[in-house]
Amino acid sequence: MRRTLLSLAILSLAAAPVFAGNAVGDTAPAFKLTAMDGKTWSLADLKGKTVVLEWANPNCPVSARHTREKTMIELSKQYGEVVWLGVNSTNPNSGDYMKPADELAWNQKNGINYAVLADPTGATGHAYDAKTTPHMFIIDKNGKIAYNGAIDDDPPGRKPKAERVGYVGHGLDAQKAGKSPDPASTHPYGCSVKY
Amino acid sequence: MTAPRIVLIAAAASLTLLAAPRASRGAASAWSVNDPSQVRLITAAKVAPTTGEMWMGLQFRLKPGWHVYWKNSGDAGYPPAVTFQPEDVLGKPEIQWPAPQRFDLPGGLVAFGYEKEVIYPIRARLQPAAAPTPAPTPSPTPAAQGAPSTQPNTLPNLLKITADLDYLVCQVDCIPFRYTLTLDQPVGIPALPDPETSGLLQSALERLPKGVGEMAGVTTEVALDANPSALPDLEIRVRGARADAKTDLFLETNDALEAGRPRMKVVSDGVVFHVAMKPKEANKPLPAHTPIAWTVTHLEAKGHPFSLEARRDVEVSGGVAGPATGSSPQPPASRERLARLLLSAFLGGALLNLMPPVLALLLAELFVLRAGERGKVREGAAAAATGIVGSAWLVALLAVAAHRAGLPAGWGAQLQEPVLVAFLAVLSALVALNLWGVVEVPLVSPDSAGSIGTSGTGRHLLAGLVAMPLALAWPVPQLREPVSYALGRGPATVTAVFAVAGFGLALPYLLLAVVPALLRAFPIPASAGGWLPRVREGLGFLAGAGAFWVLYALSHQVSAEGIAFIELTLLAMSLLAWLRHREGGGRTFRAVLAVGLLACAAGALWLADHNRLAPRAWPAAPLPTTLTTGPNNPIPGGKKNA
Repeated sequence: MRRTLLSLAILSLAAAPVFAGNAVGDTAPAFKLTAMDGKTWSLADLKGKTVVLEWANPNCPVSARHTREKTMIELSKQYGEVVWLGVNSTNPNSGDYMKPADELAWNQKNGINYAVLADPTGATGHAYDAKTTPHMFIIDKNGKIAYNGAIDDDPPGRKPKAERVGYVGHGLDAQKAGKSPDPASTHPYGCSVKY
Repeated sequence: MTAPRIVLIAAAASLTLLAAPRASRGAASAWSVNDPSQVRLITAAKVAPTTGEMWMGLQFRLKPGWHVYWKNSGDAGYPPAVTFQPEDVLGKPEIQWPAPQRFDLPGGLVAFGYEKEVIYPIRARLQPAAAPTPAPTPSPTPAAQGAPSTQPNTLPNLLKITADLDYLVCQVDCIPFRYTLTLDQPVGIPALPDPETSGLLQSALERLPKGVGEMAGVTTEVALDANPSALPDLEIRVRGARADAKTDLFLETNDALEAGRPRMKVVSDGVVFHVAMKPKEANKPLPAHTPIAWTVTHLEAKGHPFSLEARRDVEVSGGVAGPATGSSPQPPASRERLARLLLSAFLGGALLNLMPPVLALLLAELFVLRAGERGKVREGAAAAATGIVGSAWLVALLAVAAHRAGLPAGWGAQLQEPVLVAFLAVLSALVALNLWGVVEVPLVSPDSAGSIGTSGTGRHLLAGLVAMPLALAWPVPQLREPVSYALGRGPATVTAVFAVAGFGLALPYLLLAVVPALLRAFPIPASAGGWLPRVREGLGFLAGAGAFWVLYALSHQVSAEGIAFIELTLLAMSLLAWLRHREGGGRTFRAVLAVGLLACAAGALWLADHNRLAPRAWPAAPLPTTLTTGPNNPIPGGKKNA
């Protein structure tokens, strides 16, 4: 009996991430995280607004390329009504980890003027099952995940920017028009999140 | 020349190479080197063929601990992307993916790819129209490297190949690289393999996963159970192969479902995997069926290690029963579409009546019915119709079986299998011989008196049974969509579609069975033995024309020698039939001739199998197991190709 209960407990623990809900249509997992500048952000406070989450890591060359190309920087400006948040889930033991002050300086130097949240425990990353940097999510005004996947259709960045299919941009246009993003999910690419 | 001088020259030469990494001549580009990896472009040919298939490869060498990616990179990374120039000559070469391995990353993430050394084979089809730029005087060096001594008898042209490559190489950290690899490829006749690179590519091709149809005795089953109480469960089963702890399953990405980590169970006759498939969109109903593509690595059959690859359109079943059982509830389908497709199948079936051998058989049958007793028309027509619909069901069963076995199935796919096409040629020839009165199978042959007398119901039934297989040689477009749609839906739909096509094919007989009076429109000779036999013999030529068309279709699939021998076999078959008919002789003699006739028919099938140009078909992209530099240039050690 005890063993059964124990295995049930283990099973439910194992199943927990499955129900965390990162699928399109799921309620976005709540978070309360501190940004690199010390400000606290909570998803609960953002109800009624469209939120974009971007898993970021300045030491990942794929994230760095998009910073260089200003992919996210320009999108966040273009869709000013959207709350654009970076999330860095890098483990402090990883070689890629940057102290918040250093990362803030790096962001400012490179033109990232949206908030980047520190998730050193990886709890939020795991709740969203974020896999890559960049891994993108759109959360709609009702707090549901509307898009989960890649920033665009060009992992190596081979195409000129204008020719890439910008999934997040298209998704935000759809949101604006009261529609669902299509595609609503794609395969994210990039470096692995350094949990 | 003194030794130090040679060393000096060699050093100078290599320095020049390092300083100016230009297009290298022959079968490999220069290595592009970075800290964790190096990569070069290779081709299998010292001299490539002017047209047809050419194999290239991207050869990576990686520092220990680093990896590059499979077509599904897993949780991170991305697969290499490469484009080739000149496109007007190379077309769009296709990259092939060797069997991958799994890399566990921190945080429970996983990547799929390759470490240490890997060659991605790339298949190009040289476009005959485009002519490469004429070469400058060729340097004499290529022959010096242990290549076959036969020098090309025409000056090779040079094809300047450039490959724009992007790839990501990762340990835990990732570094993207971009290179333009260039290679001057001599092109000409005869094509010559490069001994080093063709060997490398040959072994790389052997590392590619095999198709299910390629491994005798190995079968697979796949079922996707969308039980609402849990995550959809994907079950993949391989039978007829040995698995061990290293055996692993790799799934390609799917639009609707995200695969979890596979659970493996090794069983006595194979291996079973279960994978939790999480819907990517929580509120969207699952599709009725979804493409599942997978590779199972580290299998062994008959002492040979291999990987297996398959791609299936899997029905998403709501209950316990998997699609393999065929009893799963049919997902809701658009009724309109089904009706349209069934109508198209019926029309297609009816159209098949106009195809030469089918038409010949039909007209001959109608004459027989017309000449027969009036009261027996209905019975005979019904028998023929029964034969047609019965054989349509048989064909449906075969199509389902082929589809299950992972063979290309669908209307038209039958013409891709040389043995089947050879069978159709034999069948058409037999019908022609029968109509010429040379082969007395109890079809529509004249009775002993030489006139077309009363023929039994069995005769009509047989004529019906032959009609559907005869029709298989004619890929009327109306049947294509209904059949491929049905194959995606399951055996019941396949049977329905083929039955409807069968009813279409049987339409003339069905009409006669209902209104026998229609037959009166047909002329009848005043006296038995009048012009009717001549008409029948004339129809034999129509069936013969059908046989020629089938042989033409076959000529794309077997070598020229193969076609020649098959034609001779058919001729021998006809000769034996003619002898048997003409000479009569004793019973033993006739029996010997009959056996010879059958042996010729079997020989034609054997010849088709042994002279095929492409390897046996299997699912997804058909790939040769051996490398060729041209249609008539087998690589040493490779399987004979022609």
